[in-house]
Amino acid sequence: MMPMLANRNKVTGSTYDQGLLWVTLILLAFGLVMVYSASIASAEVKSATNHQSTYFLIRQLIFIVVGLVAGVVAFQIPTSVWQKMAPLLFMVGLFMLLLVLVPGIGHKVLGSRRWIKLVFFQIQPSEFMKFLAAVYVADYTTRKAALMDSFRHGFMPMLAVMLLVGGLLLNEPDFGAFAVIASISIAILWLGGINYRIFVGLLIMLVIGFIVLIWTSPYRLQRIVGYMDPWADPFGKGYQLTHALIAFGRGEWLGVGLGGSVEKLMYLPEAHTDFLLAVIAEELGFVGVMIVIGLFAWFVLRCFSIAKEAISNERFFSALLAQGIAVWIAVQGSINMGVNMGLLPTKGLTLPFLSFGGSGILANCIAVAVLLRIDWENRRLSKGVPV
Amino acid sequence: MAFVQHTIKLPVWRRRLLLVLVMAGLGALVGRAIYLQSLNKAFYQKQGDARYTRSLTLYAHRGTITDRSGEPLAMSTPVESIWANPVDATTTPAQLEKLARLLNLRQDEIAKKLENHNREFVYLKRRISPELANQVMGLRIPGVYMQREYRRYYPAGEVTAHLVGFTGLDEKGQEGLELKYQDWLSGKAGSRHVIKDRQGHIVEDLEAVKMPQDGHKLVLAIDRKIQYLAYRELAKAVEMHKAAAGAAVVLDAKTGEILAMVNLPTYNPNNPNNIGGKSRNRAITDTYEPGSTMKPMTIAFGLESGKYASETQLNTAPGTYKIGPATIHDHENYGVLSVAQIIQKSSNVGASKIALSLEPQYMWGILNQLGFGTKTGVEFPGEVSGRLRNYKDWRPIEQATMSYGNGISVTLLQIARAYTTFANDGELLQVTLIKSKDMPVGQQVFSAATAKSVRAMLELVVQPGGTAMKAQVMGYRVAGKTGTAHKPGVGGYQDKYIASFVGMAPASNPKYIVAVMIDEPSAGQYYGGAVAAPVFSAVMGATLRMMGIPQDAPNNNIILPSPNAVEVKEAA
Repeated sequence: MMPMLANRNKVTGSTYDQGLLWVTLILLAFGLVMVYSASIASAEVKSATNHQSTYFLIRQLIFIVVGLVAGVVAFQIPTSVWQKMAPLLFMVGLFMLLLVLVPGIGHKVLGSRRWIKLVFFQIQPSEFMKFLAAVYVADYTTRKAALMDSFRHGFMPMLAVMLLVGGLLLNEPDFGAFAVIASISIAILWLGGINYRIFVGLLIMLVIGFIVLIWTSPYRLQRIVGYMDPWADPFGKGYQLTHALIAFGRGEWLGVGLGGSVEKLMYLPEAHTDFLLAVIAEELGFVGVMIVIGLFAWFVLRCFSIAKEAISNERFFSALLAQGIAVWIAVQGSINMGVNMGLLPTKGLTLPFLSFGGSGILANCIAVAVLLRIDWENRRLSKGVPV
Repeated sequence: MAFVQHTIKLPVWRRRLLLVLVMAGLGALVGRAIYLQSLNKAFYQKQGDARYTRSLTLYAHRGTITDRSGEPLAMSTPVESIWANPVDATTTPAQLEKLARLLNLRQDEIAKKLENHNREFVYLKRRISPELANQVMGLRIPGVYMQREYRRYYPAGEVTAHLVGFTGLDEKGQEGLELKYQDWLSGKAGSRHVIKDRQGHIVEDLEAVKMPQDGHKLVLAIDRKIQYLAYRELAKAVEMHKAAAGAAVVLDAKTGEILAMVNLPTYNPNNPNNIGGKSRNRAITDTYEPGSTMKPMTIAFGLESGKYASETQLNTAPGTYKIGPATIHDHENYGVLSVAQIIQKSSNVGASKIALSLEPQYMWGILNQLGFGTKTGVEFPGEVSGRLRNYKDWRPIEQATMSYGNGISVTLLQIARAYTTFANDGELLQVTLIKSKDMPVGQQVFSAATAKSVRAMLELVVQPGGTAMKAQVMGYRVAGKTGTAHKPGVGGYQDKYIASFVGMAPASNPKYIVAVMIDEPSAGQYYGGAVAAPVFSAVMGATLRMMGIPQDAPNNNIILPSPNAVEVKEAA
């Protein structure tokens, strides 16, 4: 299972991507501080948190520790194993998404059935599904590289899979997760050389599909209307977004100071999860927002750099997976930030690495571990050491 | 590397395009952030301010109103008001039950208020004691808060109600001195500009706190003890004579200060609901025809004119006096009377004859100087001036009836003030509700001789043969005059009366003037000497003794009318 353990001691020099590790740790630490700042007041007020101001801080800290441990474990797994296991893992993911929809197992919060309740905690399968989708589509594309020009053999199977995933996610409903998974899949197919005519056709279909979905479901339509002109109904549909925008405006260039947000004082709902960026914007200003965007940009660049190295080693699965993860983090982060800034309708997507949430943090940490593993293998191959 | 398939091609341009798209997305976010946090920040900040910055009023402590010796008549005490933000308020059934019990409200009443999510502020109960409010806060119900307010409390209640008045819920003067001295008492509210969290807690101050300036204290001329006394005696008389209303004024004869001013009916200023006309301070805001209490003025005019002296004889026979088509009546035919006896017997015919021998302009001039037809200038809202018509329009019958107080309307305070001339060697004093520091400068209306002479005549009124033996006070000489006036109504005078008495004591050097007016006594008696004089006697006697005024008569000075003696009744 783990043949590299035997060779470990022979490796010398820098054996992993320090930049990627740092950007991850900085994001996690920054997120921890901001989750605490954003939640301190609301945690103190709510009886659900037992009026403990450190309620979310302690839990996020535990999630990060668990995530780091999981990351260390995941780092031990060779990319070849991920590739071999890809279809199986994907099936497990699909099964979990199915479980969520089973009454009694799936746990409903605010009208969405997204969680599976276990004894001490609950997990959100869609967060892991994003990672598993990247693994699966990277494997698929690698396996069917020769068929990328074929609509029937290259594209149709993947379309069927995506429709299945989409069907499950939209039943929760978790439109945001589907958007992210669809983006990952399309991006990997694109990178894998799918015929551009198929690609353009797919894009048109997707656009039509999204529009149909939005217009047929009043719940999504309401979100759309709320986001296009939040000031039309600032105390109803536009409430959350208007308060997020106010937080940005109040932050100006340098922010009102760490801990100084007023919006987090029960005005802005979900301040420590989906709307964490608004609190960052208010407390640390444009500079804080730039730091977040900069860290994500850095992360994406690292991923692409690792992917490029993998390509030069002809490790196509690893390259596609690294870029798939990059697209995942970039798309999810951008959508979340776009939502916070009123550019996109409210999705229920968290800010990767930063927002409060156990499943998200865990999935993000595993993804980074896999990236580090790809890079680690790249370095060994370039030194002529077998992985 | 069994999984690597060598046929695969990953076009470089596709990677680059994807990276550019991802970076473009992040770049768009940077642009949006600049728009939100710099270009359009003013709009968002304004919206934010509208949501969570609040201007708070820091209430100034309203000044206390006290009597002349510092006893409080109106004071502000801290109370708490319980309010809720229905959006945030959540109660368990047990909490709701306790809350309803503490506030003495029905549970469904509270629940209904809390269900109205369109509002962020509803009062559950205003003005409860701080102890009770703390118990309510002890329930720790989210979204339920308390707010400090002040409640105006009137220790003397209905006794000073007409004078002091009361304030509304916002501590703004609504009646009486509370209204008149609103600015002086209220002080200046301060303000605080703050940011509040969603629950209403203050998070920070946005600018320096403007501290409130407390209101000033108002010290009245009123003596609380005399006020209580006057109230008690007036109430007794109003009840005994089944009167519609009554008023009494006690003046310091040397300073013009109003030591007491009471009215009936009254109300409780601590709970001023459905008060209707009960809040009228009729001693100042209502006029009446004074009747015979005007006669001393008429006599004084006569003395001043030089045409009459105390002993000058006038023939009042046959007790009627025809002026044009009208006839003036005395109660009986008194025959020849001296000027002094005209007062003592209260002869309308005698007073009319004196009046008609004087120039209208002269008579009007002195009446005007005495303050009739103009406001006294006392610091009270709603004061009326009464009616003194211009002498040019006087017909002889009018001049005659005015001499005994008909066809002229006055306030009780105006009459009491006019009598300061007799108490003060002819000097008219300015009356005041506020305690004065300096001795007032009076206005000489009559000569000292005239004043003394009238005072001596007024002493006869309470003696045998006079109309008001019941006005006598043990140990003190009393000078005064009764009045019994028909009330004018639609189409002439009705069978209703106003009984009054105005007098002073000690007559040798008067210290106090007491004026009493009883409206519509309807228990049989209606003469001033029978209805108003006893009130005068009780109030004056008690005041003199309480204030330790040296006696000017022996303790056995009171002469009881012999049971057989015919009661002297004045003409009404």
